[in-house]
Amino acid sequence: MTATLSVGPPPTAFRRPPAAPSTGAHPNAVLGAIAVGALACVALWWHDTAPISGFGDWLTNAGRITGLLAGYGVVVLVALMARLPPLERGIGADRLARWHAHGGRYTVSLVVAHGLLITWGYAVTAHTGIVSQAGTLLTSYPDVLMATVAGLLLVGVGAVSAQAARRRMRYETWYYLHFYTYLAVALAFSHQFATGADFMTDRPARLAWSAMYAAVAAALLWYRCLVPVRQALRHRLRVVAVVPEGPGVVSVVIGGRHLHELRAEAGQFFRWRFATRELWWAANPYSLSAAPRGDLLRITAKGFGQHSAALARLRPGTRVFAEGPYGALTAGRRTRRKVLLIAGGIGITPLRALFETLPAAPGELTLLYRAGRDTDVVFSDELAAIAEQRGARLHLVTGHRSRLGYDPVSAPALVANLPDLPHYDVYVCGPEPMTRAVTSALRAARVPRRQIHSESFEF
Amino acid sequence: MRRVALALFGTVTGLVMLLSFKTHSSTAGVPVATAPVVPGTGTTGSSSSDTSTGAAASTGSAASTGSARAPSSSASATPASTTKTVTGDAVDTRFGPVQVQITVTNGTITAVNAIDYPQNDPRDQQINSYAIPQLNSEALAAKNATIDMVSGATYTSEGYLGSLQSALDKAGL
Repeated sequence: MTATLSVGPPPTAFRRPPAAPSTGAHPNAVLGAIAVGALACVALWWHDTAPISGFGDWLTNAGRITGLLAGYGVVVLVALMARLPPLERGIGADRLARWHAHGGRYTVSLVVAHGLLITWGYAVTAHTGIVSQAGTLLTSYPDVLMATVAGLLLVGVGAVSAQAARRRMRYETWYYLHFYTYLAVALAFSHQFATGADFMTDRPARLAWSAMYAAVAAALLWYRCLVPVRQALRHRLRVVAVVPEGPGVVSVVIGGRHLHELRAEAGQFFRWRFATRELWWAANPYSLSAAPRGDLLRITAKGFGQHSAALARLRPGTRVFAEGPYGALTAGRRTRRKVLLIAGGIGITPLRALFETLPAAPGELTLLYRAGRDTDVVFSDELAAIAEQRGARLHLVTGHRSRLGYDPVSAPALVANLPDLPHYDVYVCGPEPMTRAVTSALRAARVPRRQIHSESFEF
Repeated sequence: MRRVALALFGTVTGLVMLLSFKTHSSTAGVPVATAPVVPGTGTTGSSSSDTSTGAAASTGSAASTGSARAPSSSASATPASTTKTVTGDAVDTRFGPVQVQITVTNGTITAVNAIDYPQNDPRDQQINSYAIPQLNSEALAAKNATIDMVSGATYTSEGYLGSLQSALDKAGL
C-alpha cells in the first residue's frame, strides 16, 4: 500500500533550473588536489635531502619517500571517508568507497615497502645483516616498535578487507575490524617525527604535517559524529510505521520535525542509525523511496545481510539518527527534456522517488525496471499509479537474459525502445556490475557522458 | 590486475627517477637542492669551514675554499722538531657539531682525530662508528683535506672536512 505518503499533483513542465544546487567538488579536481599533495611530500623529501650515493643511500631514501607518501596516504584515505559534503555531493558515496578501497591497497603496499626498504638501506649503510638491523631498529630507535605494530595492523585490515575474506565474514565483523586502522594511524604517528629524517630537524615540516592530520581528524569528528547528533536533536526522528512490501523487502516510514531543513531531494539517501540493540552500531545507507513530504520520510530495504533483515523487526517509536542527505542522483543533474530511468533490482528505490517528482510532461518520462524474478518486483502498484497519473511510461522486465532471449539493457534494445535515446537524460541505479554494464551500453548508444547519471549500491 | 601492474611500475619508475636526479646533482658538482646544513655562522671563526654550499663529493671544494682564504697567521716559523696539537673550529651539522684535532710534527701531520661528533641517538652512533675512523685514517694518509666523503655519512663528512681544513689553516699547512 502507498501508506501515508500519497502522491500529490505531479509537476509537469520542465524548465531548466535557474541555478543548479551546489553539485559539490568535481572528481577530477579532487584527484588533482590529492596528486598535488603527493608531489608536495616528494618536494619535502627533495628539499631535505643532500646528494646521495651508494646503494645504501638509494634504499634508505626510497624508504623515506614511500614512508612520506604512506603517511600522506592514510590522511587522504580517512578524508575520503569523513563524509565531507563537497565530496559526498560531487563524487558520491559509491565512488568514494571505491577510491578508498583502491587507495587503501596502494597505501598498505607503500607501508610495507617503506619498512623493508628502510631496514635494508640501514643495513647496507651500516654494513650489518638485515635481520640484526631489523632488531636494532625495533629495539633502539624510538617509536619504531609501535610503528611496526601499526604496519602489521594495516596489513591485517587490508587482508581482511579483500573480497575473498569479506565474503566469508559477517558485515558487522568486517566493519569493526576496519576501525583498527584508526589505531594503526595513532600508533605510527610519533615515529614519523622521532625517526623521520625529513621531520627530525625541520620544524615547519612538522607543523604542517601535524596541521594536516589535525584538520582531517577535526573534519571526521565534525561530520561523522557531531553533525548527526545535532541533526538528531533538531529533528527527533522516530519510526512511524514498518510496511512489508514483498518477500524480503520492507519499507520504514520515519517521522520528525522541521524535516524540510534537511533539504533532502528525491533520489538521495541518508545513512540511518536505529536505536535498537541490534542496529545501533552502524549507520547504513538507504535511499528515500518516495519524495520527502513535510514531516515524513520513507526508506525501503531489501533483506541483504543481517542489518536489512533487522529493519523488519523495528517497532514504531524507535529513535532514528540520520546523516545526510547524500547522493548525486537528483533532479539537479538534469540537462534535457526527456528522461529515462533504469532501475536494476533494489535500485528501484531512489528512482521510484524520482519517478514521482521529476518535472516532466506526459510522454517525456520513462522508467525501465529490470528485476530478476517477478517476486523481486516492488512498488508495482505505486509505479503503475504514478505512470498513469503522469502519462509516464513504465517498462517492467523480469527474468534472466537467457530466458528472455535478449538483453533489455543492451544498446540495441534501449535504442529500439527509444530511438532518440541520445537526447535523453538517463538515471541509472542498481548493483555495481549492472550500472557499469548499462553505462557502457548507453555510451555505445551514443548518449553523451554528461547525460548519464548513475549510482551503484554495494558499498 | 592491469591497474596493479601500472601502479607498481609507476611507483618504481618514479622512485628511480627521483633518486637518480639526487645522485646526478652530486657528481655534477652543482648542488641542486641541498639541505641548509651548515649555518657556519655561530661556531666558525675562520671562513674556511663554510661548506654550506653543500659541497658535493669530496674533491676539492672544501679544500679549495679553505685554501683560498687561508689566513694563517699562527706561527709557521716553528723551530724544528716541535710537536703541536691544533684543534679546528667546530663545524655544525644538522645532527650536531664535528670537531677535528690534528697533531703536527715538524710540519707534517702525524695524527688526526675527531674529538667531537654527533652521538645523540642510535643512528648517529651507528653511522659514526664506522665513518669517523675512516675519515681519520684517510686524512692521515692524505695529509690534507682532500679526502673522500664517507657514503651514508654525508653530514658528518662535510662537518669533518670543514673542521679539518680549519685545523690545517690554523697550523699553517
